[in-house]
Amino acid sequence: MTGAALTRFDRRKDGSGFRDWAKSAFDAALAQSGLTAGDIDALFVASESDFFHFQLNPASILASELGLVGVAATRCEGGGASGQLAVHAALRAVQSGAARHAVVLGVDPSASSLSGDAIRDLYGFSFDGWTDGMTGLTATALYALSYQAFAKRHGTTMDDLAAVTIQNRGNAGGNPNAHLPRSDSAAAIGQSPVIASPYHRLHCSPLSDGAAALILSAPARVPANRNAAPQIIGAGAASDHMHLSHRADPGDFTAKTMAMARACAAAEISPQDIDLAEIYDAYAGAQLQAISALGLSDDLSNDLSRGVFAPEGRCPINLSGGLMGQGAPVGAIGVAQTATCALILEGRYHAALQPRILPRYAVADTHGGVCTTAAVTILAQGGTAG
Amino acid sequence: MIRHQITLDYALNPGWLGPFVTGLLQGQAIARRCAACAATSFPPVRTCACGSDAGEWVTLPGTATITLRTTGQDGDFALVSFDGATTQSTVKLVDVAADASGGHIIASTGGQPGLCLGARGARNAR
Ligand SMILES: [Zn+2]
Repeated sequence: MTGAALTRFDRRKDGSGFRDWAKSAFDAALAQSGLTAGDIDALFVASESDFFHFQLNPASILASELGLVGVAATRCEGGGASGQLAVHAALRAVQSGAARHAVVLGVDPSASSLSGDAIRDLYGFSFDGWTDGMTGLTATALYALSYQAFAKRHGTTMDDLAAVTIQNRGNAGGNPNAHLPRSDSAAAIGQSPVIASPYHRLHCSPLSDGAAALILSAPARVPANRNAAPQIIGAGAASDHMHLSHRADPGDFTAKTMAMARACAAAEISPQDIDLAEIYDAYAGAQLQAISALGLSDDLSNDLSRGVFAPEGRCPINLSGGLMGQGAPVGAIGVAQTATCALILEGRYHAALQPRILPRYAVADTHGGVCTTAAVTILAQGGTAG
Repeated sequence: MIRHQITLDYALNPGWLGPFVTGLLQGQAIARRCAACAATSFPPVRTCACGSDAGEWVTLPGTATITLRTTGQDGDFALVSFDGATTQSTVKLVDVAADASGGHIIASTGGQPGLCLGARGARNAR
């Protein structure tokens, strides 16, 4: 991972557009890598929907915008998992020898280009469009039903939802690029409007604008000044039934468990070895479901109350603020999570959030649908995995 | 600022799912019964969990029991079990009392083929 960069995530009011954010993230990642545009063989663009930027075939447009005309340009899409799927596609291109260096570029104007109501209606077609979509089920309602099933079995409470919300938005306070740094009390969270019970507005991630970029390089091609760069040591993806209602347990993120098992097998580590995680917290409860599905805790409520996932804990989660705090420009999310892990593993993250002792293994966890498509990537400190 | 507006008028062909879609518009629960294992899916799935894609359409009684329910600004929705189905379903609740334990399918209220559950004893309004 020779280059990693993110733009601010927020609702842009400065007249800039998605091509500007893409260029800014790409330039910063390329500068970090020490490479030039001529070294790049492939571009993988993650962007969830043409509805957001009103640009079909955005990968070819961005190849031109980034000064990469001639490279193999591919768009990767899997709903919320788009960014991580693009990381995986770039990884395979480099592993296969098809590319010496590959760029992953995630970008979406999820906040500024359409109204919140229009985006909510479009998101309703992220699940089975012909059943849930036509029924008018929203993302929040489906996530709420899934979380209720999880909470019933695991005994998690409204206090746990508040704790996740407070921690993620508190972490975002140390991230100058974050969309929603806040310090709401549990009472204030409980008083925000109910969107789909048990989820109140403050349990939900915002819609954001932004971009993130990575440069993946074949080990033999890494520039000398980047020999200590973090490495991707495992990647795994999986899918679950498109109907939440047809799953054995609608509260389980089974695809995530499968994706994690595949990534851990490739990395030759176990989930207990992970000491940093960026998790797909589209909603506060989804973070709890993900921790459980990824195998990061055997005793969820106890680990939460002991601060295992807090900034000073054994395995800090969403130091960036996650989707809830940092923000959620959909295509950029998985790329941003992976970039964040890389920057932290290398000790280059925002000073207020950078752990003093560098973590060894990090997982970037992303999904689309109600974990209908899951994709996780495991990174190691440079040198750890040889 | 570039201002631009488009209107899209879709004509989506549901293909094999046709009987299910027609049923929703009429307030009937048309499910798929697997020819190999008799699992009855609603909404119907083309390929059963057992691997078979052979099956027949069956009309369920239309009554359902609510498993989980969510309410708020986005509307009233639930995870329910339709009598005669071996899978659960996610539905929109239409005037189902907060303490009701179940309901009955009604014709889609949205002008599009949605899966709507009305109060028990409710019959199709149109
Ligand atoms: Zn079967």
